[in-house]
Amino acid sequence: MNIRQYILILLFLLPLTIFAQGVKVSATASKTEVGTGEVFEVTFSVNGNVDRFSPPDFSGFQIVGGPNQSSSMESINGNTTMSTSFSYELMPTKEGDFTIGPATLGINGSKVVTNPIKIKVVKGKPVPKANSAQQGQQRQQSPNDVPEGNAADMAKYIFIRASVDKDNVYQGQQLTLTYKVYFRVGILQNQVTKLPDLTGFWNEDVKLPSQQQQQKPRIEVVKGERYNVADLKQIILFPEHAGNITVDPFEMNFIAQIPAPGRDLMQQFFGGGYQNVKYVAKSLPLVVHVRPLPEAGKPASFTGAVGKFDVEASIDKTELKANEALNYKVKVTGSGNIKLLKNLSTNFPADFEKYDPKITDTVTELVSGVSGSRFYNYLMIPRHQGDFTIDPLKFSYFNPATGRYVSLTTKGFKIKVNKGVNESNVTAFSGADKQDIKLLDKDIHYIKTGDAGLSKQGESFYGSTAFIISLLVGPFLALIAFIFRNKNRKYNADVVRVRSRRAGKIAAKRLADAQKQLRAGNANTFYEAIFKGLYGYLGDKLNISAADLNREVIASALAAKSVDEKVIDQLTDTLDLCEMARYAPVTHISEKEVFEKAKGVINDIEDEI
Amino acid sequence: MKFNRIIYLLLAIALPLVSFAKSDTQALFEKGNTAYAKAQYKQALADYQQILNAGYQSAALYFNMGNASYKDGEFTTAIWYYEKARKLSPGDEDINFNIRFANLKTTDKVDEPQEFFLTKWWRGFILSASLNALSITSILLVLFGSVLLIIYFFSHLVGLKKASFYIAIVLFVCGVFTIFIAAMQQSYFDSNKQAIIFTGTVNIKSGPAEQTATLFVLHDGTKVNILDTNNGWIKIKLANGNQGWLKKVDVKTI
Repeated sequence: MNIRQYILILLFLLPLTIFAQGVKVSATASKTEVGTGEVFEVTFSVNGNVDRFSPPDFSGFQIVGGPNQSSSMESINGNTTMSTSFSYELMPTKEGDFTIGPATLGINGSKVVTNPIKIKVVKGKPVPKANSAQQGQQRQQSPNDVPEGNAADMAKYIFIRASVDKDNVYQGQQLTLTYKVYFRVGILQNQVTKLPDLTGFWNEDVKLPSQQQQQKPRIEVVKGERYNVADLKQIILFPEHAGNITVDPFEMNFIAQIPAPGRDLMQQFFGGGYQNVKYVAKSLPLVVHVRPLPEAGKPASFTGAVGKFDVEASIDKTELKANEALNYKVKVTGSGNIKLLKNLSTNFPADFEKYDPKITDTVTELVSGVSGSRFYNYLMIPRHQGDFTIDPLKFSYFNPATGRYVSLTTKGFKIKVNKGVNESNVTAFSGADKQDIKLLDKDIHYIKTGDAGLSKQGESFYGSTAFIISLLVGPFLALIAFIFRNKNRKYNADVVRVRSRRAGKIAAKRLADAQKQLRAGNANTFYEAIFKGLYGYLGDKLNISAADLNREVIASALAAKSVDEKVIDQLTDTLDLCEMARYAPVTHISEKEVFEKAKGVINDIEDEI
Repeated sequence: MKFNRIIYLLLAIALPLVSFAKSDTQALFEKGNTAYAKAQYKQALADYQQILNAGYQSAALYFNMGNASYKDGEFTTAIWYYEKARKLSPGDEDINFNIRFANLKTTDKVDEPQEFFLTKWWRGFILSASLNALSITSILLVLFGSVLLIIYFFSHLVGLKKASFYIAIVLFVCGVFTIFIAAMQQSYFDSNKQAIIFTGTVNIKSGPAEQTATLFVLHDGTKVNILDTNNGWIKIKLANGNQGWLKKVDVKTI
């Protein structure tokens, strides 16, 4: 391969040298070391018009093809150069070192000789029989046995052309890449040797509707030549990133039947013979310019859809029981990178149990692009009763035709979930595991019976007036008791007053005692009790000690207290009477009268003081 | 149990206003209990409800209503009634047990963070008896203290005087402490307003508006603390500290 390229370069350079040096001839071989049975090419070229050409002796080689004469003429800035070349396809038959002798060319009347070429023949494949090599029509030939065609020549017969329908696209925008083979010779066999790996693209092969129909070649005219054209492959490409992306060449092996000069007169007469040659055809690399998607106006819901789409959502039921399955379907139809669509940004109720969508594609790949629909089937299981809303789904895509983003919104759905048969305890709230309460009892505790202890609603005893009053009752009582005790204590603290206060009581006691004696009939003790009672009473009342107690003192004390004279007289009378009665019987007055008198006196004094 | 009965008895004595029309409601209560015993839970609930409609309530009534609702399969309502009963009688073991039991039937599992043991202990202490029981106890303590004080005032025996004085002081201190506990309990319930979610599924939002983001999802039966209210929305806080807003209609306050 390399050598061939060098030769080609050499050949291209040749005219320059000729222009510089006048006539220049050269003999070149495509290989200087060949194996037996391998075909190589020897070219004799000259810049100028060749009158005559006599080939050298090709002893030790079998002529497989040629001589192929080609001539070219070019005129640059008025300098016209011509070049002619003769090439032979040779195949060595024996091993060893050979020299291809000089060829003689007649140019402008003069004879020019080419340089000899040394060829080293090494052991190679077995030499095919001469006749089979010449019987080009044999189809059973294995490709290896077929000589390789001259690249430059073969390119005129067969070439592969890669083309794209657009070479300036947006990222993600689909474009169609077509490989076509152009040929104007018979093709016996073809074999794809290298498929482009299309790095940087997501690709989809176009499924040709009918393989047979497509294979029927069309006719196209290229550079004045009529070619049969057949589509090799059509691929829809989706650029994955922005920038210039190169499409690799497509390589194919052909065994072609090319016209060859007849080997004998008869063949030449009938238009020459045919020769089977092997040829590797390659397409030229292509560059696709990919533009990034514009950032301006990019919707939040955009996930990379490029093309033209429509979206539709549906739901299989709007009312169901908890724990039943619910299907939410989203259908995206259109053309574009439909298979590259990412998962939709759905907005389901947080409480639903959701599963990843089942994605079904019904997509057709045509030359015009990939189109079809994609179904997203979301399965959801509501676990709890309630009214839920599936919010409208937002879907947006980039339309490369208009260069704008388009946002679509589906319908929203209201879903009513009724109480299910068996609501499980699904933790929708993310938290740690609920701690297990170890319960030995299997049931709730029984109701409270007996007194309900009912109270008015909204009334709390605590803080109520009743509560405060009840609370204060004790301290209040204690306070009253305290005040009472203190008063009492103060009252009792004055001995004189207490004595005088108690005088009446003691007197009454004495009188009661006296009455008892009266009933018993003891006159003596009766009078004594009356006497003591009166004396004691007066002593207490007037605060006079018993030793100082006599009638005069009493009378003066009573007078000092401004007691009525009559009362004092009555008192002294009674006292005299009692004193007298103790020693002598009293007849003028009954005991009962004395008692009443004493009582009256005490009462009178009590009233006065 | 026995203690409770004594308290209820004392309550009945201390609150003469209760006594009127009480016999009717007590009859209804017993009728409800009979229906409950016969597993006629709906009938029992209806009977109990009549007592509520008459304007009466008690921890025992709410507890029994919770039980009837539980047996009727209405766990959320049961929890609500239990919580109401607990508020009236926080220390009641039956009520606390049934709350734990009914909570096993709810969906959301909210784990409560570990509290400092003193906080927990203190809260348990102030909630150990009902507000009414505390009130009655304080009244009795003060009353007995006063009686002892009066004895101290009028007694002439030195031993009795000494004993009654010190015991009275102790009783007064205890009475004041009981009132303090009651005040603490009152303020606890005032500051800890709670509610039970009644809607099957509630999206807890980040703000008091429908358009705000959904933070998490709660289900019926979950107890939430109410922090704030705003225009038909309430701000709630879970036991684990998560906060959010939900609509007032989704919950029933305890």
